[in-house]
Amino acid sequence: MKSFVSALLFIFSTSVLAAGNGVKVPPFERVQLSNGAVVLLMERHDVPLIAFSAVLRGGAVSDPADESGLASLLVGLLQKGSGSRDAVAFAETVASVGGQIETAASTESIAISGSFLARDQQLMVELLADMLQRPRLELGQFDTLRARQIEFIRAAKESDLAALTPIYGEASLFGGHPYGRTVDGSEASLAEIKHADLQRYYQEQVGADRLILAVAGDFKTAQMKQRISRAFSGWRKAGAPLAQVPKAQAVTGRRVLLIDAPESVQSYFWAGNVAVAKNDPRRAALDVTNTLFGGRFTSMLNSELRIRTGLSYSASSHFDRLLQPGHWALSSFTQTEKTIEALDLALATLDKLHQSGLDATMLESGKSYVQGQYPLALETAGQWASQLATLEFYGLDRSYIDNYSAALAGVGGADAKRVIDEVFPSSSALAIVVVGNAGALRDGLRKYGPVTEMKLADPSFSPVRRQ
Amino acid sequence: MSRRLLSQLLAATLACACTLPAAAQVPGADQVQAVTLTNGMQIIVWPDHDIPNVALFNWVHVGSRNEVPGITGLAHFFEHMMFNGTTTRPQGEFDRVLEANGARNNAFTTNDVTVYQDWLPRAALATVFEVEADRLRNLAFEPKVIESERGVVYSERRLRVEDSLVGRLQEQVQATAYLAHPYGIPTIGWPSDIQSWRIEDLKSFFATNYAPNNCTLVLVGDVEPKSAIALAKQYFESIPSHAPPDAIRTKEPEQEGERRVNIEAEAQSPLLQFAYHALSGADPRQPALELLTRILTDGDASRLHRVLVEEQKLAISADSYIDRGFDPGLAWFLLTLPAGGDAQKAEAVFDREIERVRDSGVTAQELARARSQALADFWRGLATIDGKAQALGSYAVLQGGYQRLFDAPRAYESVTADDIRKLAAELLRPSNRTVGVLTAKAAASQGEGQ
Repeated sequence: MKSFVSALLFIFSTSVLAAGNGVKVPPFERVQLSNGAVVLLMERHDVPLIAFSAVLRGGAVSDPADESGLASLLVGLLQKGSGSRDAVAFAETVASVGGQIETAASTESIAISGSFLARDQQLMVELLADMLQRPRLELGQFDTLRARQIEFIRAAKESDLAALTPIYGEASLFGGHPYGRTVDGSEASLAEIKHADLQRYYQEQVGADRLILAVAGDFKTAQMKQRISRAFSGWRKAGAPLAQVPKAQAVTGRRVLLIDAPESVQSYFWAGNVAVAKNDPRRAALDVTNTLFGGRFTSMLNSELRIRTGLSYSASSHFDRLLQPGHWALSSFTQTEKTIEALDLALATLDKLHQSGLDATMLESGKSYVQGQYPLALETAGQWASQLATLEFYGLDRSYIDNYSAALAGVGGADAKRVIDEVFPSSSALAIVVVGNAGALRDGLRKYGPVTEMKLADPSFSPVRRQ
Repeated sequence: MSRRLLSQLLAATLACACTLPAAAQVPGADQVQAVTLTNGMQIIVWPDHDIPNVALFNWVHVGSRNEVPGITGLAHFFEHMMFNGTTTRPQGEFDRVLEANGARNNAFTTNDVTVYQDWLPRAALATVFEVEADRLRNLAFEPKVIESERGVVYSERRLRVEDSLVGRLQEQVQATAYLAHPYGIPTIGWPSDIQSWRIEDLKSFFATNYAPNNCTLVLVGDVEPKSAIALAKQYFESIPSHAPPDAIRTKEPEQEGERRVNIEAEAQSPLLQFAYHALSGADPRQPALELLTRILTDGDASRLHRVLVEEQKLAISADSYIDRGFDPGLAWFLLTLPAGGDAQKAEAVFDREIERVRDSGVTAQELARARSQALADFWRGLATIDGKAQALGSYAVLQGGYQRLFDAPRAYESVTADDIRKLAAELLRPSNRTVGVLTAKAAASQGEGQ
């Protein structure tokens, strides 16, 4: 494959474009039930399908500090039996109508998403209501799922180091801050979680006042509203208040976490710092600048590490924008012997961004690119449902989408310079993480700052036992 | 290997996944137009005006199947070289032009094909045609660029094979499954070949395989067939056709006994892989094979998942994958075991389940469920212009013609339980498979030899 984790910054976007001149949000209805649940309904009749996205505030930031992965386990268990159906009956019911249900946890939420044929909308609402309100949370299923999640981490350590590296990166950058909690847990933290913790978590952290339910597709709004109201109006609220997350401190110097993977023939590196929140008003300038630095094939970073030098198959950078400032990071990988050369080059490229900025041609190219790719992330009912839930979650209004095209068009050199100065970290202020053969890397890495070491086999994603 | 984007929740494009037949009509199917240019290049256009973008995929009919010892990995290397400059545009210019015009591109290589993908705003269409035609006509062979790209490809190999136990085992199993046919060649290439391709190898491979008569160009999205075809003529028709590459004459001989690969590695999680010789992409029994594998591994209610993962907890995942190429490929079953898991026991339980499906077939309920899943996934796949371009190209080139795409719902409906039982009996025999076992070094010492 040629490449490349294309860092689509605007995963949640949508289209229905007014004559090529930017994407506009089509009409939708917002309803708040008396228990606090927010319901968002958008009719789209082009296909006989309905997609939903049910997002609950909470997520990994609500995990107890030494039990990261609890929210993730909980949301996974919601599919393992609820209401009148045990796990097998539930799976058979969904599969027999060609339905699809997926669960996922993230830093600040847990989510259930899926799609069903329009004719199965009654069943869809029933299954979702059962999962959220009447999960069985059986001990046997809990044990199985927890054990499997631990095994998945062990297997990934042997077949997918590129996917694990950012997990070490975030844990290292945020440390004890809730954003440092590993969403799906570590071998150590999962082992700490008891069935009773999970039941308590469900009582305290799951409830109607946490729910945003977005539905998009082939239904009648009045009827769907009625179905959902009937199914969700009687649901209780969460038993505990929502965790409030303070702003994380940015890293001021530079430090290195080295994870020893003695069998690895390649090194995987990640370097980041605390950056911006989702509602940052400089969004368009940030997107364009990051696209040019590390968000597309000809980005500065990929041009240096791949196209010009052949050091790596891929180099990229991205933002993680949350309610509070999340991280910005660059990442790449290269053969063990070239690690220092590649890391030096990545940092020099970041220096170049700060020193030389972006010229007018680059800026125009970046704007065209983001603009041209925007509609492709916005084609399906599922993308719409996800987008509506995201807007509600972050307290954003439709202008987030409606005005994006104009905002992109308006990004000038001064805007780019400002975000480079204010948001993109200096190469001297970074949490650096390297997964690779420590024996070969240790000495070379010292020049970047104090080096802390741990082993890939360690059951945690940070050198301190408790995350 | 395709892009890792978010899980796109799909909206089906149609009024139909509705179980039954009433022969789901794929909307817009009647607007597909296909032509062959005078130089032999096929063009297929499917208009879809939902968003103002176009997916343009050039399916070049060359993959690792067209390689021989010494040049393994070359088809994939070309996938990289095609972005690295022409005699009219320096290295990097292709991507610079596309991206400045709002377009993104990528590519992938398989045993059978190399596919170049562009996703663009409709305003960039003529520009994309121009640069696509340029690289087909004028590819440059710059020694310095070749050396640099060799490093990139080796980095990709380290990522996917050398640093991945799953990838390492799969490469060995695939190579062992074929005695004669080039499907045994790993698409990424053997390390010594990656390190030693010569510029003459590249030139000759390009001249043989990168001819317009060896390409199928698929366009889906906000275009009108007439104007797209006019652009294709304008930019591609003057590229001369070449003598077609030699047909692959080798047929894999009937396998005469089970083959095994045992790898001992510094590993915690044992892996088991089973590769059965199966069907070509155009074989009319493909829908039956797909339903069979769905019954075995699709979702928590599937047989292998239920028994191996949920009930006996011998594995943490049970997946399958079917090759759909020009020639008969493999049907794969992949198990990941928990750390310290018992590979022998997992294999015995897997065997018992395979035997059961071979002897007794599947139930009506299982068949109905697999059909619903296949149909719904079919429609979800057609929810985006990207998914349509993928499906249209795959059917056009590898699965018997693009029209068959529109027959897929009917094809699933017409599969019977008896078809599935017969197919299982024919294919899922021990003597027709290669088994790969990867275990931890210490624990494997009492296992069988090589």
